[in-house]
Amino acid sequence: MPNMSGASYAAPLATGRRIVALWFPYWAGETTQIAYDRTKSFALVERSKNAQRLVGLTPLAAQQGLSLGLSLADARALLPDLQTAMAEPMEAAARLQKCAYWLQRYTPWVGHDPPSDTRHAENTDYGLLLDVSGCAHLFGGERALLADMQARFLKRGITAHAAMAGTVGAAWGLVRFGSTAKTTPQARRQIIVPEGQEAEAVLPLPPAALRLSGVHIDLCQRLGLATVADLAGFARRELTRRFGPSPVLRLEQALGQAGESLNPCLPPPRFLVRHNLAHGVTQMEALAQLIGDLCTRLAAQLERASQGAQRLDLALTRSDNAVLALSLPLAHPCADGGHMTRLFEERLSRLSRGVDAGYGIEQLTLAASRTAPISQPQETMGAFEGGQTRNRRRAAPIAALGSLYDRLVSRLGAQVVVRPVPHASYIPERAVRLVPVLAPDKQTPDKQQRDKPEENLYARLPDPATRPLFMLCAPEPIEVIAEIPEGAPYRFRWRRVLHEITAAYGPERISPEWWAGLTGETPAHHNRQTRDYYRLEDTQGHRFWVYRDGLYDRETTQPRWFMHGVFP
Amino acid sequence: MEIKPAAHIKATTTSQKLAGLRRLVARFEPVVAQGPHIQTGFADIDSYLAGEVANAGLACGGLHEVVAARTGDMAAALGFAHRLAARFLDRPHTQDMLLYGQTYMSCREAGQPYGPALAAHGLSADRLVYIDGARLPDLLWAGEEALLCSAIGCIVLSSWGEAPSFTASRRLSLAARAAERPLVMALGAQAGTSASAATTRWQVEALPQQGWQVRLTKLRMSYNTMPPNEGWTLYPKTMSQHLPLMDSAAEIPGMAQVRAG
Repeated sequence: MPNMSGASYAAPLATGRRIVALWFPYWAGETTQIAYDRTKSFALVERSKNAQRLVGLTPLAAQQGLSLGLSLADARALLPDLQTAMAEPMEAAARLQKCAYWLQRYTPWVGHDPPSDTRHAENTDYGLLLDVSGCAHLFGGERALLADMQARFLKRGITAHAAMAGTVGAAWGLVRFGSTAKTTPQARRQIIVPEGQEAEAVLPLPPAALRLSGVHIDLCQRLGLATVADLAGFARRELTRRFGPSPVLRLEQALGQAGESLNPCLPPPRFLVRHNLAHGVTQMEALAQLIGDLCTRLAAQLERASQGAQRLDLALTRSDNAVLALSLPLAHPCADGGHMTRLFEERLSRLSRGVDAGYGIEQLTLAASRTAPISQPQETMGAFEGGQTRNRRRAAPIAALGSLYDRLVSRLGAQVVVRPVPHASYIPERAVRLVPVLAPDKQTPDKQQRDKPEENLYARLPDPATRPLFMLCAPEPIEVIAEIPEGAPYRFRWRRVLHEITAAYGPERISPEWWAGLTGETPAHHNRQTRDYYRLEDTQGHRFWVYRDGLYDRETTQPRWFMHGVFP
Repeated sequence: MEIKPAAHIKATTTSQKLAGLRRLVARFEPVVAQGPHIQTGFADIDSYLAGEVANAGLACGGLHEVVAARTGDMAAALGFAHRLAARFLDRPHTQDMLLYGQTYMSCREAGQPYGPALAAHGLSADRLVYIDGARLPDLLWAGEEALLCSAIGCIVLSSWGEAPSFTASRRLSLAARAAERPLVMALGAQAGTSASAATTRWQVEALPQQGWQVRLTKLRMSYNTMPPNEGWTLYPKTMSQHLPLMDSAAEIPGMAQVRAG
């Protein structure tokens, strides 16, 4: 008779959550077998310890007496017509990830089991955890939800056991060790534990159902603990002393007495609209129309919450479950459906390979994954004047600029639409940086604060008139005839054209920034020598900014000359 | 309206004939007679525009082309385009932005705008949005989008080798007129000979001693006398505090020594 001091385990707390655990005992085998003959048994093999061993099976193979770890030679003796393929655990894991995304059709909260970051390559346990709290009624109840899920897996030839409970631990244990009427490998477990009855369901299971490590399971066997109830019968401090903290925690988690978080593959966005289609859509026009509808609906959602989207994510799910995902950053929080629609139109039209709709797109999901409050909904002003053009011109300047940035970026790319930002450096090409207009600008929250440091930075530079209005993307080497050791060029050849110099001004000496090494920045290779800059004018009136790289005889014996910019 | 072409064509010299025909065509063409306009800041050009052209200035609502006379004159052409942009932006109490876009080719050949130097040409780096390389059709699209944006005061686009088609320039010209915002298109020497619906086309050539020779080769506004063929010789002042942009070698003692040695 076990010590009943552990009786407190019998009173679990209501968690208010409904967790579905899915377990795919033959995941790797079944998903690989799709390319092979389904009517024959199939196994995945892997070379280990100098022999080829089975590491993945299908239900049929299991029924015919094969087991994991059997060598291929033995398996062939049993089943001469066994089909085999090399195991590719990474691919199986990737397929599971894809499946997790697909399961977001039931709930946005789908997590890996075990978590994907702790998954080892040799781990052959494939499962997923879904938090379906508040989702079941959308599919006609919990039983219908599981039935629907399992039917879809069955259609693809995948064995999926499912269990629903109020805790992750209970669902996990039940899906793997729960009792089922039939014991054939094809039978699918479908267990639903009503809320608050986790203890009754979990206590009869073997201790392995508590997600214990192999050492602990062995220990339980040696101590003759056949069920969770046996384990739960001990006082916690005795358990902890004998086993360490892990089994107690797992037990409490299974019974809902300790919290357990479930990490979803993606954080569920608060603002999300989706469109399920009866038939796949392949035409771009129809797709554009649907995206427009989604944008309008999302904008309405956002506007009700006084929020503006800063980032939009569009997912187009094809009938073969491939997902085309697009994301759009926005310059300013936006709750204007028309604007979003235009951006997506631009974006879709600019995809290098177009939208591959395959056999049709079945589901469209649009989410605002990052939002910020907007003070007031953007209203189109002056509607009585008529004409969209006039309306857009009337928008407030900041918002107008933001929406222009959005359009330019969505068509031209984020790295192309830039603005110059001064940088504290005396090296001319480093004195200013081109920063994407949509780049987050943490140091300069508003205009007034931004202006001051920029003015100061520019003020530290020499007279703007001594700098060329146009700077070449990179200094271009030129062939120069000039006085040695120091002097302005007489003539030079740039881009195969010879320029005779009639006027020169200089040199302006710019030394390398010796402190750059101290602050951790490594100076660029071409930035380690003193430069002597000259402003030159040739016979035709063209004006240039050239420099000699390195001091003659002190830094180099063969100084090279470079064209760096042109004056208008 | 009854038109008597004979009265216009009965002129003696070719230039008079052309002028007569231009006046005739001007009656059909919707010219920019109203709307805001600016002074270019160059006295010679302004006095011509004030005296001879219908709206006495350079129309804000229009497409203005600036063309390099020779391959090496792109910098001068772009400089002139930026001078015009600075004048267009120079309106009180506004912080309108300048959108400057370049084709890939133009970026490579003519260089990128350099923030610290913009001040010398009347522009502010804070008010510049720059498109760092795009295909020409995309650039024209961006120009048209920007014309609709109330926060953009002027647009400068630059293309090195290819010019927009006549249809494209017509489209941009109409958009600019409707928006009453200027769009300045800077074109390389090879691209500058194409047909275009621009309101004005300026040809810029660099001159020694920091000068520009600027010709007005196309003017789609009604005017009394043709712009001078030889154009205007300009010596633009940089907004420098203490240094001339360039001194001749003889004037700089150090330079003279180098030459003498």
